[in-house]
Amino acid sequence: MQRRIRKVAVIGSGIMGGGIAALLAGAGVEVLLLDIVPFDLTDDEKKDPKARNRMVETGFNAALKSKPPLFYDKKNDAPMISIGNLDDDFDKLAECDWIVEVVVENLKIKQQLFKRIEGIRKAGSIVSSNTSGIPLKDMSADLSEEMCQHFLGTHFFNPVRYMHLLELIPGEKTTPEVLDFVANFGEVMLGKGIVWAKDTPNFIGNRIGIHGIGKAMQVMLEDGLSIPEVDAIFGAPMGRPKTAIFKTSDLVGLDTMSHVSSNTYDLCVDDEERDTFIVPDFVKKMVENKQLGNKTKGGFYKKELTPDWKWARKVIDPTTGEYVDLDRPTFPCLDAAKKCATTAEKLQTIVYGDDKGAKFAWKVSAAACIYSANRIPEISDTIVEIDNAMKWGYNFEMGPFEQWDAIGVEKSVAKMEADGMAVPENVKKMLASGATTFYKLEDGKKMFFDFASNGYKALQTNEKAIVLDDLRANGKVVKTVPSCSLIDLGDGVYCIEFHSKMNALNGEMLDFMKEAGKYVEENGVGMVIGNQAGGMPGAFSAGGDLAFMLGLAKDGKFEEIDTFIKGVHEGIMGTKYAPYPVVAAPYGLALGGGCEICLSADRIVAHTDLFMGLVEIGAGLVPGGGGMIHLWRNYIESKPGAGKLTDHAGFFIQAFMCVAQAKVSSSAADARKNGFLRPTDRIVANKDNLIGEAKKEVLKMVDDGYAPPRKKKTEVFGREALGMIWAEMLNMSAGGYITPHMEAIAKKIAVCMAGGDVPKGSLVSEEHLMTLEREAFVDLWKTENTQKMAANIIKTGKPLFL
Amino acid sequence: MKEAYIVSSVRTPGCRRGKGALAQTRPEELLVQALDAVIDRAPGVEKDVVEDVMTGCAFPEAEQGLNIGRVAAQMAKFPDSTCGATVNRFCSAGLEAIALQAMRIKAGWCDVAIGSGVESMSIVPMGGNMPRPHPEWAKENPDVYMSMGVTAENVATRYNVSREMMDEFAFHSQMKASNAKANKLYKEIVPTKATKYVQKGDTWVKESFIQDFDDGIRESTTAEGLGKLRAVFSATGSVTAGNSSQTTDGAAASLLMSGEAVEKYGIKPIAKIVAYAVAGCRADEMGVGPAYAVPKALALAGLKVEDIGLWELNEAFASQCIYAMQQLGLYDQRELWESTSDKRIINVNGGAIALGHPLGCTGAKLCAQLMNEMRERGVKYGVESMCIGGGMGAAAVFELCE
Repeated sequence: MQRRIRKVAVIGSGIMGGGIAALLAGAGVEVLLLDIVPFDLTDDEKKDPKARNRMVETGFNAALKSKPPLFYDKKNDAPMISIGNLDDDFDKLAECDWIVEVVVENLKIKQQLFKRIEGIRKAGSIVSSNTSGIPLKDMSADLSEEMCQHFLGTHFFNPVRYMHLLELIPGEKTTPEVLDFVANFGEVMLGKGIVWAKDTPNFIGNRIGIHGIGKAMQVMLEDGLSIPEVDAIFGAPMGRPKTAIFKTSDLVGLDTMSHVSSNTYDLCVDDEERDTFIVPDFVKKMVENKQLGNKTKGGFYKKELTPDWKWARKVIDPTTGEYVDLDRPTFPCLDAAKKCATTAEKLQTIVYGDDKGAKFAWKVSAAACIYSANRIPEISDTIVEIDNAMKWGYNFEMGPFEQWDAIGVEKSVAKMEADGMAVPENVKKMLASGATTFYKLEDGKKMFFDFASNGYKALQTNEKAIVLDDLRANGKVVKTVPSCSLIDLGDGVYCIEFHSKMNALNGEMLDFMKEAGKYVEENGVGMVIGNQAGGMPGAFSAGGDLAFMLGLAKDGKFEEIDTFIKGVHEGIMGTKYAPYPVVAAPYGLALGGGCEICLSADRIVAHTDLFMGLVEIGAGLVPGGGGMIHLWRNYIESKPGAGKLTDHAGFFIQAFMCVAQAKVSSSAADARKNGFLRPTDRIVANKDNLIGEAKKEVLKMVDDGYAPPRKKKTEVFGREALGMIWAEMLNMSAGGYITPHMEAIAKKIAVCMAGGDVPKGSLVSEEHLMTLEREAFVDLWKTENTQKMAANIIKTGKPLFL
Repeated sequence: MKEAYIVSSVRTPGCRRGKGALAQTRPEELLVQALDAVIDRAPGVEKDVVEDVMTGCAFPEAEQGLNIGRVAAQMAKFPDSTCGATVNRFCSAGLEAIALQAMRIKAGWCDVAIGSGVESMSIVPMGGNMPRPHPEWAKENPDVYMSMGVTAENVATRYNVSREMMDEFAFHSQMKASNAKANKLYKEIVPTKATKYVQKGDTWVKESFIQDFDDGIRESTTAEGLGKLRAVFSATGSVTAGNSSQTTDGAAASLLMSGEAVEKYGIKPIAKIVAYAVAGCRADEMGVGPAYAVPKALALAGLKVEDIGLWELNEAFASQCIYAMQQLGLYDQRELWESTSDKRIINVNGGAIALGHPLGCTGAKLCAQLMNEMRERGVKYGVESMCIGGGMGAAAVFELCE
């Protein structure tokens, strides 16, 4: 029978349960969120359904309020979730296709719960545990054969919406059908990266992760480093998140971290690094003092208000357990690493340096590599699972084995041996076989070294999960310039890939896009505009290259700015009216020019985590790449043509506010609500599949018979919009809600989006609208205030409100 | 000139916009009940003697459009011979309607007429559904379209009305209203049939009920609580939701007659209208209007501030009401307006901060409140006044009939 997930029960409404419920609701699945009836109810309250649901209601509300938001679209997703308690609503589990347990980490409680579930669940339904540490075999020891066949571990990471990793842990008896189904559901519907883990304590991500943290603390105390020193090394320079070791711990919570640590210590009695899991005394004391991190407003780091109302940053001194002033330490190796282009070069510079910091980095990284290799096959069959778990669950740019490749396996092994470290047997065997890297490309296929067979094996990937780096390595780049490339995706579809800093748009890209367009016109069937820059959430394109235009403005070369914008318009409209379909595949930041590129595409295939907006006003400008034209088009054309619009203001004000307030969407669903995405645009849950889905969309459009959009006039609000905006702007400025130059820019936005001084409901040409946009753009560059605002955002990254 | 008498004067309760009791009742239905009641409270007078119904309304469009004065008269079963008109001078529209009828009577052009006002701010939003300021005019001179709250901020800053003064004034308004509500002093209120739609499962059920009190009064208000509210019209301002009038739904009406008609129907009138005046001021501080309109009306009546025994000064905003009182020399005599004072004669049963300000209805509503209290107290002269969006004030002087 075809398995379907129509309704899921999530049991436990804590931060993980709430996050899982929100994610499922976002995927369009009905959710039943349950928690216990509070123990401390009075006799009266025991009869009150609201009081009985107090626990789950608190959890649900926390999920609704969480920041960053756990929901993609609170208004539409939250009603998918109904709440209840484990006494009154337990029977409803019989309706569920999947039951996820996310209750407290206590074996007895979990065992009892699963026993109860066994009595009510419908045959064939999936039951899973989100435990992060308790062995599945202990939880399922007492359960029936049929339930065990449908029982597995589904381990999400916090915050559920944003962390890509989903560890799946098969039980001894789980059927392959169930495992395949959950993996596919997790990948396609929930957008997760699946890592297959074994039923060992803390599975993969947390086992390796907690070892890394433990090791860093151990060596820090031995070598006498400070917390900020450790974080300076193990942050961005090493391809790790900026929160590094200790800020990550503050984020997770010192109590949780200590719990995972001691759990590993208790359960992994044979672990060669067992001592690493002993929580250091100064951390134990902090946990006792309730200095748990961000949730208690103070952990390893904290901010203190000084008597003169300024925030002072403090950090724990591990030798005394007291807070001291935070400084920003550095080491020669870090300064040298700053000059390196790639993360691999940075890593080499740091771990092979000879200052105190470099030595620390080496000790801790080498230990991580060795520990990871020793965990195979204990926690995972291959190196790939460990690398993916660390990239997706801990936001490392590289997993331990990729990192090992980056610093050179032979070189590092020699150094390990020289330092008296025990090099894992499997790695020695690999080197002995002549293999010197964990990964390699062979005939265009990505291969990994498999310890079990002591040879390379092809990496299994989803067909939709196109990896541009692999295509690049396979010689699929058709054309390239420093900031972008045209890559052959196969089947006649070509991808324009940006690869500038933050993928900001520049003149070179514009020229390249015209050239690439020509190439696709002659050689291909369609185009995808997409890229795969790293980071969380990453940047599809964070905007336009302001410095170039600021330079022109400073030199008074306004004619050139005018010509430049004409070129931008030509490029944008060239893409729009190209004789082949163009699909944009934005994810993460798609701001300013990055947003405008998407708006001009035939279709957008967006990742769920899309932060899209026309934010030019923050730089003292109006959008100059047709953004206002296309955003207004999305509003006015989202209704049937026969519908007659009496009140254009109902549409105009919303569209205008998006630009004048530089609204940035909080998700793809939110971008749709604000008109950035059209009803025909698609939202894809899994970022890895984005380029593949965009390619699929191109091919479908070709297959269906593609004709470019016809040039037609746009209905505008015209002069009546202007009257409204002039009047309202007075209230804004009088109330001190808008600064004078911002007001001037907002008024220009109004003129552009209203179509200028024309009667209400006029049909105007695209050329007319482009002229308005260009004039506004050039006029603003002529003002000193816009030049100041642009200079400020270039320098500080923050808007200056003039 | 002839005299114009107010024979009866009533109002529906004022109920909060959106969440209040009248939010889902059509404005015509509110007005119909006020029209019915004003006839009911004039024994011996039938609807067919009323020549005209004039209705003040600040946003006479959509549900309040299509000449609601005529529509409501028909819905209230006045005969075809009873005419109807809608008049708009924003916040004084209801008083304007009464004054226009009074002038027609005084001129001898009419003997029996109704002046009324209606505003459902729940149904037709303030500013209207489709505000369309004139583009070129608004570009250079947007003041006339300015938000009322911003003008209130301007009054506060230009004339040094402090946040503390405003909050204190607002507190007294709430306390005076609480007292009046508890002691059933609003005899001018018509218990009003209202409807609301309640969702039952997947359908909506229309329910009817009677509303007989103003539902915006906050008995539990404290000066401290008011002090915690944030300014809503300015980032650095002092005008809050607590020291501004409430946006409200309601209707009110007064039946007016000439001396001959009073005699003919054998009715004892409440008061006669002595004078009505409007005065203009700068649009961006429209709240100062009463400071100019009141002296103008008093001069027409040949009276002085001290002659007035009862005041209804509309509390559009505490800032502007305080300023007007200061200009009239009334503010510093705190016993004249404080809730704790037995000698109070200004907004004695609370003002729009507690009772609400249903824009076009307000002029007719304050008249009903004033008529009731003048009669109760036996006060000879009463004045009602309000500021008007766009930069005006209006004031009327009434004299109690012996």
